[in-house]
Amino acid sequence: MAATPTPTPESTKTLTPEEASLRNLGSDYTERYGFHDAENYLYKAPKGLNREIVEKISEFKSEPQWMRDFRLKALEYFLARPQPTWGSPMLADVDYDDIHYFVRASERSERSWDDVPEDVKKTFDRLGIPEAERNFLAGVGAQYESEVVYHQVNEELEKQGVIFTDMDTALREHEDLVKEYFATIIPPNDNKLAALNSAVWSGGSFVYVPPGVHVEMPLQAYFRINTENMGQFERTIIIADEGSYVHYVEGCTAPTYSGDSLHSAVVELIAKPGARIRYTTVQNWSNNVYNLVTKRAIAETDATVEWVDCNLGSKLTMKYPSVYLMGERAHGEVLSIAFAGEGQHQDAGAKIIHAAPNTTSNIFAKSISKDGGRSSYRGLLEVAKGAHGSKSKVVCDALLLDEHSRSDTYPTIRIGNDDVDVGHEATVSKVGDEQLFYLMSHGLTEEEAGKLIVNGFIEPIVKELPMEYAVEMNRLIELQMEGSIG
Amino acid sequence: MRVVEWDELEIAVVNCAGTLYAIEDRCSHDDGPLAEGVLYEDDCTIECPRHGSLFDLRTGAPKTLPAYEPIETFPVRIDGDLIKLEVE
Repeated sequence: MAATPTPTPESTKTLTPEEASLRNLGSDYTERYGFHDAENYLYKAPKGLNREIVEKISEFKSEPQWMRDFRLKALEYFLARPQPTWGSPMLADVDYDDIHYFVRASERSERSWDDVPEDVKKTFDRLGIPEAERNFLAGVGAQYESEVVYHQVNEELEKQGVIFTDMDTALREHEDLVKEYFATIIPPNDNKLAALNSAVWSGGSFVYVPPGVHVEMPLQAYFRINTENMGQFERTIIIADEGSYVHYVEGCTAPTYSGDSLHSAVVELIAKPGARIRYTTVQNWSNNVYNLVTKRAIAETDATVEWVDCNLGSKLTMKYPSVYLMGERAHGEVLSIAFAGEGQHQDAGAKIIHAAPNTTSNIFAKSISKDGGRSSYRGLLEVAKGAHGSKSKVVCDALLLDEHSRSDTYPTIRIGNDDVDVGHEATVSKVGDEQLFYLMSHGLTEEEAGKLIVNGFIEPIVKELPMEYAVEMNRLIELQMEGSIG
Repeated sequence: MRVVEWDELEIAVVNCAGTLYAIEDRCSHDDGPLAEGVLYEDDCTIECPRHGSLFDLRTGAPKTLPAYEPIETFPVRIDGDLIKLEVE
């Protein structure tokens, strides 16, 4: 694995007091999240990946033959595909032979915290998960290493037919439903990392919301890596049936080690006609985790999919949540916030495909880099030939806190017809000159006015986040807005 | 499986469990060839070798993303020892 980067020289850039107060963001990671438990596992696969490991995972889970075949085929795709050469030079350092692909910490997924193994429960207590569940969630899943150790959903929701369970249980108890949707949005040979996940997937969430049901409080999944050189490969599917609504929130942390870990998830969302899915991620892995994730959604007629994607941690993140707008008047939205500190590269972004007429989309991508960190926005906006009357707006904004850091933007726009309205804006000052002018005429400075406009804009999203995450997000957004006008 | 050319069209003729189908040999996602992909005879689909989209040989419709537009299909007729394709 890569050597420790050389320390970044002291910055000479002058910061506003607000910016300076945020320079220490993330510096208490080791204390808050970076601890680890003693390893007391039922099974820990030796390092490396081969057919035997894949078969063992399938056997452990007593899976049907079609899933075992699916995994083995995916393994062939993974082995046949070269490591991607785009994105980040850090990708070349990923050592697939130096990873434990499966670690089992507990016999089964429990429905009571009391039944979760003591060490594991202590970790989640320390991270505040049981408390959060009591206070503001409709359901919780907690994954520790390869598998989900705790899962619970509000009884009222269960009565309404909502399914919220871990993916392994879903395969056992709702096999037909899983089979109908599994890998239809992200096929195993989509890319090398999707193939890897397809071969060794374990854990993750399965959500089904019946027609017309609104899940008012969020469902949350929390992912924890504990061991060094661990690979975590959860698989999540969310199906929102006609006219339903669900907000799913995920968070993740890991201990700080010198050996690198790999997190490679696959997430598939299906929003049926008139449904709405909001998927919020607060990614806070330790700086020795490669986070290489494939997330994709389809939105059918009049449906809405929103990705709120906040990347604070990890060594390297490559993640571009996408929405395929497949039905008329579907709407897609991505709010992406990336924060790159010392030794980090956040290659984040979004993809929106307008495949039907009169569809609309927004991408708002914000990034902050400091102490030699690098953040990139990589995006695709595609409007198909028949998708007339479509509207899209892309706004990218980057802030560098010192002269050692780096930010790049790689936007791709493909338009297949003339009757569309597409806007790409690179600075906040263009968000609304009239709004700025109005506020400034009431005595606000340009910077205050800009901050107010953007805060007002993102407030509906931030206020829906669980409190502990909203605070972190707000700190970031505050920072992000400083000095970005003009 | 065999690829034939007509004007600028490349057409893949595929034998799925004894029935012949003809499809445009071009993935609607990235315009690359499909004929090199895996054929699944149980549901008559072909898998794009580059990004894994599955296409229904009978209708040309994609059954998985990332492709979202159908590929063209052509009627096939068997005339003695000859396989004839109808191309407009």
